[in-house]
Amino acid sequence: MKYFYLLLFAFLWTLPGNAQIRVYQAFKDTRVINSHSIETTPRRKMDIRIGHRFGDFAGARGGWQSFYGLENAEDVLIGVNYGVSDNLAVGFFRTKGASQLQQLLHGEVKFRIFHQTADNSVPLSLTATSLATVSTMEKSENPESLANFDKFSHRMSYHAQLLLARKFSDRFTLQLMGGYVHRNQVASNDENGLLHLGAATRVQLTKVFGLIVDFAYPISSLRNADNGYYPPLGIGLEIETGGHVFQLNLTNATGLMETDYIPNTRTNWGDGEYRIGFTISRLFNL
Amino acid sequence: MRKKWLSAILPIMALPLFINLVAPQDREAPQITADTPVWDILTFLGEPTPNHQSKDAVKGASPEQGETLVTTGFASKPSGGKTGKQSKHFVCTSCHNIQKEDPDLSKADPQARLEYARDNGLPFLQATTLHGAVNRTSFYNGDYEKKYGELVKPARNDLREAIQLCAVECAQGRKLKDWELESILQYMWTLELKLADLSLTEEEMAELKQKVAAHKQGKDDETLNWLKARYLQGSPASFTKPPENRGTGYGLTGNPDNGQLIYDLSCKHCHENKRYSFFQLDDSPMTFKYLKNHIGRYSHASIYQVIRYGQQPLYGKRSYMPQYTQEKMTDQQLEDLRSYIELKAK
Repeated sequence: MKYFYLLLFAFLWTLPGNAQIRVYQAFKDTRVINSHSIETTPRRKMDIRIGHRFGDFAGARGGWQSFYGLENAEDVLIGVNYGVSDNLAVGFFRTKGASQLQQLLHGEVKFRIFHQTADNSVPLSLTATSLATVSTMEKSENPESLANFDKFSHRMSYHAQLLLARKFSDRFTLQLMGGYVHRNQVASNDENGLLHLGAATRVQLTKVFGLIVDFAYPISSLRNADNGYYPPLGIGLEIETGGHVFQLNLTNATGLMETDYIPNTRTNWGDGEYRIGFTISRLFNL
Repeated sequence: MRKKWLSAILPIMALPLFINLVAPQDREAPQITADTPVWDILTFLGEPTPNHQSKDAVKGASPEQGETLVTTGFASKPSGGKTGKQSKHFVCTSCHNIQKEDPDLSKADPQARLEYARDNGLPFLQATTLHGAVNRTSFYNGDYEKKYGELVKPARNDLREAIQLCAVECAQGRKLKDWELESILQYMWTLELKLADLSLTEEEMAELKQKVAAHKQGKDDETLNWLKARYLQGSPASFTKPPENRGTGYGLTGNPDNGQLIYDLSCKHCHENKRYSFFQLDDSPMTFKYLKNHIGRYSHASIYQVIRYGQQPLYGKRSYMPQYTQEKMTDQQLEDLRSYIELKAK
């Protein structure tokens, strides 16, 4: 492990200073659809975020009876992100929670390790994120329930990941990511730790509209269709109006945060279990 | 006897002292060189000192503090620690240069200023440079009364009031504390005009030298007026409207090369990488297409609308764009900008 740190340090040491022109706006927002993007909230700016995932659009629970899912809310997020510096942001969010653990509070730290530069001396951008989640729901007396919190730590789950991206042109960005989710409390036949890989992209259609896609793949023999789990996949339209970013998306993920949607997506595009979602981001100067 | 002698001799002894106090004195004439401050000559020739002379006695004030306030919005408190940012949205240099920005200070010529900005690596901005601000006698001139109403009145002939108006209204920030205000003023005094800024010919310098050497006392109005005519006493400001028909514009043929200068030195100064704005501008074809498609509209996404009217600060979103007056961007330059945008959008 120490060799990894030595290599990482040596690599960072060779990176150019701030004098080189950086490539900005690989993504318009700090999140793509479900996943983070490499972007961080700029220094001294506060990003108020509201996210929503409606019910299944089609399938057994969707269609006309639920007005294509619009009458249900799988998950709702409200929170704030703050740019401590141009490379470091902290966030605090509340989500309803879309799995057994609900009423979730999330603390998040995001750090931009290096920027892609215009002269390609640094061809990629790298960002690290970490997230801690606590469920504030009432303790269940049912010993089979995940909410039967024997200890406070059973309420906790964590996520960390690295995101690597390149903005190939004004129109196209590709991001790869890999991360790890750890849940302190899981079912007896489940596993606490879960690695995942993923990808995201943005295709800018016009100055205002962009097409965004993201995908996460949990690496686990337990997370497969036979067990009723599906990789979260989202596709959306991103609308930037100067200060506001509005995303309208379709995804099979029900949860909004990594500790929720990566281990717990049990809805399948093929069965019509995708949903309309949106995220509104509004930046304020502080 | 002794007292009588003293009462006679003392007034006689005090007489030279009295004469020395009340009689006009010959002052030392300032050296006339390129580095001579214009105010040194003005005061020598009898011009009263301006009311915006900085007050040295204000605790914590210094030109260095003023410079950091002007360029970063922060300073070090006299009691220690760092101040809060003066404005969340802007710093003085968002809209003001701190260098000379006109080749000829006696007139407001936007095209000459644009070329001077290009040659000297300066942005081309809405507000007047702080260089030489202490040499001006009026502020928020012309049509700024239409924008700020009664607020302009105390600021028009008082630089301190003008700075405060700029801090609170233009920058949408907090009012400056006394030591901050004096610091900015002291910094501005480091930017005062020197003779070199007036671009005087050798003959004019020699003539000025003669006049200064010949001046003994009183006010030399002729030389004062001659010198003051070499730079504007205030920046004129004429608000002007977008063209009636946004589609056809002002009916002038645009020069895209000149338009590129405006785009690079003006638009991108604030909008590149969202430096002072939430709206991003860059050199991508998508951006130019967006701007082109909105030229003909009656919204702030039209360059005509936003440049001539600017934007108003809204509650909760107090970052806004100040407009360009006719003296800061001509109709021709606006058409040049349009032609550049249309060229790049193809």
